[in-house]
Amino acid sequence: MVKTRSAMTAAFASLAAVLVGWQFSVAAFAPHTPQAASAGKIADQSNTSDDPIAPTTSTPKSPAPNAATTSKFRDGTGTGQSVNTPFGVVQVKVIVASGSISNVVPIRLTDVGDQSVQIDNYAVPILHGEVLQSQSAHVSGVSGATYTSEAYLGSLQSALDQLAK
Amino acid sequence: MQIPLTYEQTPRTRPTRFGERRIDYRRQWRARARLSNTLVALMWASAIIAAALTLPAATMSEPPTIGTVITNLGIFVGLIGTDLILIMLVLAARIPVVDRAVGHDRAIAVHRSMGKPALYLLLAHAALLLVGYGASQGINPIAEIGWMWSIPDMPLAFAGLGGIIAVVVTSVVSMRKRFSYEGWHLIHLLSYVAVLVAVPHQLSLGNILAEGTFARAYWISLYILAFGAVLVYRFIEPIVASLRHRIVVDRVETHGPGVASIYLRGHNLDALEASGGQYFVWRFWSARTWWHAHPISLSAHPTSDSARITVRSVGEGSRNIATLPRGTRVSIEGPYGIFTQRGRTAPNLAIVAAGIGVTPVRAMLQQADIRPGEATVILRASTKHDTALWDETKEIAAQKGATVYTMVGPRSSRGPRWISDSDARRGVTLTSAFPQLATSDLYVCGPAKWIDSVVEEAAASGLAAHQIHTERFEW
Repeated sequence: MVKTRSAMTAAFASLAAVLVGWQFSVAAFAPHTPQAASAGKIADQSNTSDDPIAPTTSTPKSPAPNAATTSKFRDGTGTGQSVNTPFGVVQVKVIVASGSISNVVPIRLTDVGDQSVQIDNYAVPILHGEVLQSQSAHVSGVSGATYTSEAYLGSLQSALDQLAK
Repeated sequence: MQIPLTYEQTPRTRPTRFGERRIDYRRQWRARARLSNTLVALMWASAIIAAALTLPAATMSEPPTIGTVITNLGIFVGLIGTDLILIMLVLAARIPVVDRAVGHDRAIAVHRSMGKPALYLLLAHAALLLVGYGASQGINPIAEIGWMWSIPDMPLAFAGLGGIIAVVVTSVVSMRKRFSYEGWHLIHLLSYVAVLVAVPHQLSLGNILAEGTFARAYWISLYILAFGAVLVYRFIEPIVASLRHRIVVDRVETHGPGVASIYLRGHNLDALEASGGQYFVWRFWSARTWWHAHPISLSAHPTSDSARITVRSVGEGSRNIATLPRGTRVSIEGPYGIFTQRGRTAPNLAIVAAGIGVTPVRAMLQQADIRPGEATVILRASTKHDTALWDETKEIAAQKGATVYTMVGPRSSRGPRWISDSDARRGVTLTSAFPQLATSDLYVCGPAKWIDSVVEEAAASGLAAHQIHTERFEW
């Protein structure tokens, strides 16, 4: 003689508690760095985006002149957060050697829509150059590539934060 | 749209005699008011948290440009609009605690009042984002639509917005009348689809709901609760209850022109714990009636294996109900409503019922735990053909020591519109009929316009809104 409604409410409340708790614990324990779950995707995408980005992965010319003395970073590699844009996820990795930013390697770039790759091909080398020159993520974005610029620099900043002294 | 339904049930508690311990209705009201305030607070909290969660992202983009400011504002209104939509789903989900606190009618009234604001927020969301993205990219907002269309999940989001527009537009009072209830309801069901297809763009675009954030967990939780409640209380529970109680039509008894009682048989009906004055949404599975669900009050308190509803044939649907063959399967949703003892807030009881509106009153009186002199009932009818169930009601009232007045005749041309012309001439008013009105709960059941007239007079006499209980019977 259990009331159907009570039984349903009990079942629903329990299930909802489990699902809600699950969602929040995912949020609580998730590292705010790239998720392990998307590792496959990252590898995959970095391959496909190798071609257009080839120039950016080449060895940089020279570290900024006074980097060694006033460096804010420790040496190593920092992987930035993935940043969503309407045109896809952007994520970069930064390499710091001898206290200066020696390279920025895109892991993922925008890939949605007809013009994304084209825009990235144009914008990323510019951003790369400006970052190496200013030794920071505080550079102006490339016009016509607002999303890519913001996401690229945002991801870079989070990578640099990991390497901050 | 409400047909009264009546069913017969043995009172759960023995009628208490004078001097025995009784329910304190004022305390009962305070408890219910607390519950309802809590629910309202939760509604506000859901929107405030949603708003707060957009702030970190809104301040993130470093040099704010016109484009990013407009975009962030667009995201903000979109999330608030979505929160309103989810609250609307919750209000329409017939969740037991909501029904217990404010009654399903009130919940639906609030649901209706939120439709347009929600739509405007979502339209503003779309417009602001087109302008904001357009400004960032240096293209005009119309051309931006083309761009957005090429983003995954966005065509679905546009479709969702279109669905919401269709749902709200068809629900606007002037448009609503052009559709049959079924047609309108079918379009309304679109809203579930419209809300769901908009979810992917929320999760995949924009950083506010990025993976691993609290905002994402919060929003997914809201969706789980809203859609879970709809699924459980609008679909699963009614199906399970219908299968479990296996209700069929036993016989149909005609009371007079157009008025018939339908006696139903079923199993374990007392497990439904329906109170006198509550209604179910009934669906009668015969070829002519299965597509139309009728909200009908019980006309008697149910026993463990039988129930009764009483209908007046006005619409075609209810005429078909009156000729249902024995054994017709019946599915139910319910019981709903607080036109019951549970809704009471004051020590005395004043009841006014017109025409077929007597049905929930009869069922409520039957179950009511009242002391002699506590309750006064006015039964109102235009002609003496509209007095179905009056004898039963008078009999129950006599047993319980309640006073019954009857008023038969055309409505008055001046003075209070709800009473008969002859009584209006005699100078009868609501307060003369119910001397204890100020300390009473006024229960009013009948056609909508007639109810409005009673409620107007009650409010004018200073009766508090929470002491007025109405149940509208449109046909």
